[in-house]
Amino acid sequence: MNQDDNGPQAGRRKRRGLLQSLTGGVRIRRNKELVIGGGVIAFFVILALVVEVCTLLHIQVTPYNPIKEGVGPSLAAPSLAHLMGTDLVGRDVFSRIIAATPNGIAIGFVVVSIAMAVGLSVGSLAGFRGGFPDEVLMRVTDIFFAIPSLIMAIAIAAALGPGLVNMMFALMIVWWPSYARLARGETLKVAHQNYVESARMSGQGVGGVIVKHVIPNIFLTMIVYATLDLGTVIIAYSGLSYLGLSVTPPAADWGQMVATYENYLISAPWLAVFPGAVIALGVIGFSIFGDGLRDALEVS
Amino acid sequence: MNLVSYVLRRLLLALFVVLGVLTFTFILAHSLGNPIHAWLGKAAALHPELVSLYVAKYHLNDPFYVQYYYYVVGLLGGNLGYSPSRGFEPVIQIIGQTLPNTLQVAIFAIVLTLVLGIVLGIAAAFYHKKPIDVGIRAFYLAGYSSPPFFVALVLLIVFVYFLHLLPTSGSAAAGLSPPRPITTLPIVDSLLEGDYTYFWSSLQHVILPSLALALTTFGIVTRILRSAMLDVMHSNFIMTARAKGLDERTVFLKHGFRNAMIPVVTISSLVVTWLLTGTVFVENIFSYPGMGQYVVQALLAQDYPGVLAVTLIYAIMIVITNLVADLLYAAFDPQVRLG
Repeated sequence: MNQDDNGPQAGRRKRRGLLQSLTGGVRIRRNKELVIGGGVIAFFVILALVVEVCTLLHIQVTPYNPIKEGVGPSLAAPSLAHLMGTDLVGRDVFSRIIAATPNGIAIGFVVVSIAMAVGLSVGSLAGFRGGFPDEVLMRVTDIFFAIPSLIMAIAIAAALGPGLVNMMFALMIVWWPSYARLARGETLKVAHQNYVESARMSGQGVGGVIVKHVIPNIFLTMIVYATLDLGTVIIAYSGLSYLGLSVTPPAADWGQMVATYENYLISAPWLAVFPGAVIALGVIGFSIFGDGLRDALEVS
Repeated sequence: MNLVSYVLRRLLLALFVVLGVLTFTFILAHSLGNPIHAWLGKAAALHPELVSLYVAKYHLNDPFYVQYYYYVVGLLGGNLGYSPSRGFEPVIQIIGQTLPNTLQVAIFAIVLTLVLGIVLGIAAAFYHKKPIDVGIRAFYLAGYSSPPFFVALVLLIVFVYFLHLLPTSGSAAAGLSPPRPITTLPIVDSLLEGDYTYFWSSLQHVILPSLALALTTFGIVTRILRSAMLDVMHSNFIMTARAKGLDERTVFLKHGFRNAMIPVVTISSLVVTWLLTGTVFVENIFSYPGMGQYVVQALLAQDYPGVLAVTLIYAIMIVITNLVADLLYAAFDPQVRLG
């Protein structure tokens, strides 16, 4: 076998090539997707960080106190004073939406990171070792795959009770198996490459080979999958939030706001549309960015 | 491996998965502390006779494995508990009333997803990189990036409050008596019995919920079909078809489309999973009396028997979908069952 195509250098050189393709301006159309999607994501992440830090420092960044009632008239239409109107008890909807930004972003990143960490360790070990552990893992993921994850998360969150941390936990329980399955498949692809086998022959232990040679080579695929998946997690989170499983009122959360404002569809139809549109906008950002990343890195 | 042993293996796996789901709901029921809560809800204390009945029937004072055995046996006998949010009506009875409505919405949503997904997928590939392609892409990105409850809400506002076109809630106009169950699906039954008033009314009621779902899922089909079409159009047999002198439309639809549908079949079970999950939200917004609406009410009332039972039923539906999809796939593509 040709050492050049399959040696330890191959992965490294390929990765450098990929970086070049990202910055080299070869794929202008694809770069545009990365820029647009990345811009939307950056906006949400920075906003979330600013809001979170300011909340910790007790500085108010929102135009009004998001949980204070009576800062405006009841069910006022959008105006310059209240960009997205006010709700029944006169709270500023724009302030509430901004105040809720850290929830969605944090849950998206935490759930995906933990799912990826668990999935990567379990999946690469199973794929690399094969045999009984592999068999057990695959049957377990089969079970999780057959279960609609959101519905299972609803059941778990219902059992645990409402709250952001419980919701995060419920999502994590159902979210890791797809990462384990992907990591296993990708591990199988590299497990018999020359550079992995020579590392094994040189006397490195299973753990060492997985950490040093397997994971670095499957990481990119996992990252692309995770980026695309972030949007899905945010949709799932907003669904749980819509069902009243996230924060307890008067704290604000996007999904929960849609559920509450739905009651005023006749008198103030815009109320429910704003938080819903914000969720959609965030997810669109992640979808576009993930698509762009996938094309640019040529990972299927 | 021949087809028979493949089918047997898939059936066995499906059974195994259902058992896994049972175990999962069992663990959840026990994670609530006293499983009595899981089966009777927090209002259990109001009904001491039901509590003692349950303790005896499910051997709740015995070790876990004994409880597990009686739990599974109970489920197999159709005992899903009693729903505190609906006056302790047996959950199995509520499922019997609500499941057909959910199936109706899901079936219509599948049809709409396929129609929208295929038509737009072909159009996007045919007008590759033209404004139509870009427009379709924006449309499906917006669709599948939106939570189902948001799409449902927008449809509700547009169709119901601005256009005054379609009914807002329920599964048929109030006052109409439902048809006798033949297939249990009210729309089909009313048609079979010639009750056209009911048929028309229930058809009007099912459109918006299923359209809301379809708008969130058609993008999966469109995207896969578009890229598969673009791939297929570069293959040798397409060149041959063109060389024969067939016009581009025929080549595209007859030769390209047929082959590009294979990856769409592969992801069909994913689409159905999304649709079924979406019914929870969409039924709630359109007050459609299906299982999704029931589970939300149960959730708000901390009615655990309802939540756990519906989880189980949804999971079984997904298992069946996956099984059917795998078997169909094996029937169409010999490589699967041989490989």
